[in-house]
Amino acid sequence: MNETLDSLRLAWPVALRNWTVFRKDFLANISPTLADPALMMTALGMGLSPYIGQIGGMSYAHYLAPGMIATTSLFTAFFECSYGFYVRMSFENIFKAMLTTPIGVAEIVLGEFIWLFIRASLMAGCVGLVLAGMGMVANPWVLPLFPLLGGLLALPCGAIGLIASAQVANINQFQTVYSFLIAPIFYLSGVFFPLGDRPVLDAITQISPFHHGVRLLQMAAWGTWNPGEILYHVAALLAFTGGLGYIAYRRIRLKLIS
Amino acid sequence: MPSATNPGDVIVRARGVTKSFGGFAALRGLDLEVRAGDCVGLLGPNGAGKSTFIGCLFGVVLRTGGELGIFGHDPAVNPRAIKRRLGVVPQENALDEGLTVEENMRVYARFVGLEKNAAEARLSELLAHMSLEHKRKDPIKTLSGGMKRRLTFVRALLSDPELLILDEPTTGLDPAVRHQLWDKVHAFRQAGRTVLLTTHYMHEAEVLCDRIVIMDKGAVVGSGPPRGLIERETPGFVGIFPGDASDRLRPLLEARPDWNAFAQGRNTCVRAPSLDDLMALQHQSGVTALQLRPANLEDVYLKLTGRGMEDDE
Repeated sequence: MNETLDSLRLAWPVALRNWTVFRKDFLANISPTLADPALMMTALGMGLSPYIGQIGGMSYAHYLAPGMIATTSLFTAFFECSYGFYVRMSFENIFKAMLTTPIGVAEIVLGEFIWLFIRASLMAGCVGLVLAGMGMVANPWVLPLFPLLGGLLALPCGAIGLIASAQVANINQFQTVYSFLIAPIFYLSGVFFPLGDRPVLDAITQISPFHHGVRLLQMAAWGTWNPGEILYHVAALLAFTGGLGYIAYRRIRLKLIS
Repeated sequence: MPSATNPGDVIVRARGVTKSFGGFAALRGLDLEVRAGDCVGLLGPNGAGKSTFIGCLFGVVLRTGGELGIFGHDPAVNPRAIKRRLGVVPQENALDEGLTVEENMRVYARFVGLEKNAAEARLSELLAHMSLEHKRKDPIKTLSGGMKRRLTFVRALLSDPELLILDEPTTGLDPAVRHQLWDKVHAFRQAGRTVLLTTHYMHEAEVLCDRIVIMDKGAVVGSGPPRGLIERETPGFVGIFPGDASDRLRPLLEARPDWNAFAQGRNTCVRAPSLDDLMALQHQSGVTALQLRPANLEDVYLKLTGRGMEDDE
């Protein structure tokens, strides 16, 4: 127990270090994360809605909206933990200096997850506000849920990025990970079209952590709660976070300790 | 609570430490002791295993075999207990280039668990000590190489460590900065603290260290106080003669098998028991030496690492 507390106490400054760097370029860091979903909502949501019939009794824009929060969370997580982490590890040698202090690999990985949760929550919260401003959120009381769910969803997605960081031979290979893993997850997990009548695809999406976050955010934004389903998706997200997070820790450890 | 160390206590104890990377043996049974208050210098060619051993001390390299204790803890088992008590100046500075000097040090002060007020006081003291006070608000990337190195010293000293590990502390720095850093190491030692360093500069080792450990191919090939090591391994004086004179020197040297002669680059080095011997050699051969000097640590180094007559592999 003492060990765990010690670890948490040491992981916190790792997260703070990333915040210190992030806030120096605050506007540059948050603008694309906000601009992308806003553009997508305008082009696909507003643009296509008139041509597409209702989906589950709502306009296509309404259907698309919660997926934008999930998307922000996914991309924040993947890019922070792939390119961002990789640069910290391999080019800036930040961890070499950290490892001379009481901080160990477990605290580095834990600190990265804490930071990711904070950053993704911030982004998801902002996107949520933009969507609410566009009239896409059924009930303003769910707004505080967006940062929470966005942060939670980011954790397993970030773990995928960390595993990729430990596996790639050079920074260009992230492009391959993006094309063959992140892009399919993004396009096929229920953000753009409803799942439920393609058995193979439906089964595959269950092993995508992103899908579970998308569903939770959709339920929150649309006000269509179902306790059993909430429990299932939250449990899935936590399980993916634990499993992938542990693999990420083992892989990163092999990179930093020889 | 960490137990305080007394002068003379063994702080680092290595017994037969081995480390293999795949099939390559980087450390082959290294024995070493560092006592509280000592300054020990590790010398050796590139690839001798110096940095591998340094990494073993705080757990970023896990040894394959042998015993290793630092402050009585095994770094493979409990690196944190060790890392709370040491400061490291790594080969690469690994400073946070995007941050300013003080942001960087504040971040690092949190890593070593300093309270905010204590950290600020310590930081001001160390920045002044290293003549970096005027750079406090500047981004790291605007600092010169010497300033970055000094800042890396500040970082290593923030936690007021008992053991300071310096991995090639002055490589690539100009002589003025080098002397300044030597002064800081001396000041650190005045407080009874312990230093373990690696270097390629023999003079640096002689100036700073009370004990030299020469490593080659992953093991210790010689150790002792600098003067004692020279007396034992390469006593006497060295004359460096121009290469084109070797024909004239050879017959005279063949008559003195107890002397030591070897090629160094294009020159011929001759080590003889006394300066008079070398003067006599000059006289008899009619060749004037480029340099006559007492034997030094470099001679010991070249002898023990077997690099006197061949190029660095």
